Amino acid sequence: MRIMIVDDEKLARERLRELLNEIGGHTVIGEATNGHEAVERASELNPDVVLMDIRMPGMDGLEAAMHLMGMDEPPIVIFTTAYDQHALHAFEVNAVDYLLKPIRKDRLAAALDKAKKLTLEQLQDVNAAQESPQARTHISVHLRGNIRLVPVKDILYFMADSKYVTIRTPNEEHLIEDSLINLEKEFGEKMFLRIHRNALVATDYIKGIEKGPAGNWQVALKGSDKKLDVSRRHAAAVRRWARR
Amino acid sequence: MALDTNKITAWSGRLQERLRPAWRWLNDRLLPRAADAAARLPGLFAPAPVESGDEIHFLPNFCRGRAVFGIVLIAELLALVITLITRRISENLFQDLLLISLFVQWMALLSAAVLCAARRFLNTLPNHRALGFAYLLLLAIELATSELAVWVLWLSGGVGSPRPEWYAYFHIQNFTVAAILDALALRYFLARHQLRQRTLSEARARVEALRSRIRPHFLFNTMNIIASLIRSAPDKAEAAIEDMADLFRTMLGESENLVPVNNEIAIAKKYLDIEALRLDSRLRVDWDVGKFPRRAVMPVLTLQPLLENAIHHGIEPNPLGGAIQVRLWEDGETLHIAVTNPLPRSRSKSAATARGDRALDNLRLRLTSHYGAAADLKISEDRERFTATVSIPTRGGNP
Repeated sequence: MRIMIVDDEKLARERLRELLNEIGGHTVIGEATNGHEAVERASELNPDVVLMDIRMPGMDGLEAAMHLMGMDEPPIVIFTTAYDQHALHAFEVNAVDYLLKPIRKDRLAAALDKAKKLTLEQLQDVNAAQESPQARTHISVHLRGNIRLVPVKDILYFMADSKYVTIRTPNEEHLIEDSLINLEKEFGEKMFLRIHRNALVATDYIKGIEKGPAGNWQVALKGSDKKLDVSRRHAAAVRRWARR
Repeated sequence: MALDTNKITAWSGRLQERLRPAWRWLNDRLLPRAADAAARLPGLFAPAPVESGDEIHFLPNFCRGRAVFGIVLIAELLALVITLITRRISENLFQDLLLISLFVQWMALLSAAVLCAARRFLNTLPNHRALGFAYLLLLAIELATSELAVWVLWLSGGVGSPRPEWYAYFHIQNFTVAAILDALALRYFLARHQLRQRTLSEARARVEALRSRIRPHFLFNTMNIIASLIRSAPDKAEAAIEDMADLFRTMLGESENLVPVNNEIAIAKKYLDIEALRLDSRLRVDWDVGKFPRRAVMPVLTLQPLLENAIHHGIEPNPLGGAIQVRLWEDGETLHIAVTNPLPRSRSKSAATARGDRALDNLRLRLTSHYGAAADLKISEDRERFTATVSIPTRGGNP
């Protein structure tokens, strides 16, 4: 199988490489040192299996695996970890494959033999079981079969229409399949503010709140000339937020 | 009236210092032993089994045969004592003993039965309220039993009326004895319970302290790295194992000893060598060790937790890593140790501080137990950097 190794520790990656060599029958087609890099490289290289460390700087392994599930042909993900009590319990419950460090050759071989695909739901359940479920640091966007990661902190707003949600960053716009309700639940009030039934605005990018030509309230944004309407139902909450 | 508060503070400080060894001895030696002994006491008030997790109730489980047997035994002894005190030795003595035994056993078993039945309810109450409630219950049982005894005597023809002339005296006597004995028994149960609680929480605190010293994540990751090094660089693997052994020997050491500052620096460097294997070029450490007296000492493992905290919050979350600054300097009679780490730009603050505060809190507690108010652990933080500074007297304090 074509395998990608993801771990922030160089020696840990080397160990996996050597063990895979000894097991034989597999090729290591790439390495990555954090979750972000893993998603980008995986969407270039299309590995069959990703050996994924959980604790990594920047994007952790769990979030990276969730993004990978959005690929056209998602790879099999086998997690590796030194000690994550809560994650391990959640893995057991959701039948997710994992290997404990120090990694044993026979366990690795067995995991590769019986490797099976995960689903996004399994991973979301695992995430929800964590001590403090993490909000994603990135949103994955699909461009012709490839995955683009858009940092959540670059997003000005989410705008929903009938089926899709539009993500707006200072320079670009993407469509994702998700719902504002889910996004609002995940990122909470601290990062995004609901200003309309169909709009969730990043609080960091709100320049001000002003009266529009038709007498309704509008949100002015940093880094964009566009002004977003505040619905009557959300006006009170928005003004309460602005007064803080 | 002029109260010299300074004098009072100084005095109370001195008193605390005097008392501390005694207190330690009491805490470390006497109490656990006393608790052990109490736990081993056979028969009588067999320790209630730990039911589930934290739930320990101060009343023994009177539904169990062992406790009932204890009660029967105590009641019989009590009956014997009462008989010997109140009756002259004659051929009627045995008969009197039988009668008194019957009465006392009756009351004791009834009390046990009621406490057994009320157990579930009593256990839902806070201890002191449960105590009060149990006391009232026992007194009520005493009154009812005494009254019943009179009636039984009347019905069996022993006395002429349900209100014989000794009726009031009988009640007052029984009530007083019961009030005293019940109070003593309940007080004993509560004291025993508190002792057990304290022993338990001390044991937990010890485990917690040990766990916070050794981070499992660090341990297993390092083992993985060493497994890797054994193939590629056996000499490095050897050095890593030696460093680990020294570090763990220090961490597992039970005593909170004062060690020369240089020793502490050496163990901290071994720790950093191990972390450097994992973190590679991501970890950089700048040392700035000033001059301090040769005899300067500090509690073992003061510097290492500061470094561990800095790596955990400042280096590990950052893909590019960063530099930790370590400064040690002496200023008058005080030794300062400052460790500064960069803060990752995007960090979930709640998660970062929750973990870190515990490690630093632990260190703060240990410093206080060594030096009292003479030691200090300060934290300062701006957007980019986090600094923890420990200040301790160079002379040592109470080892």
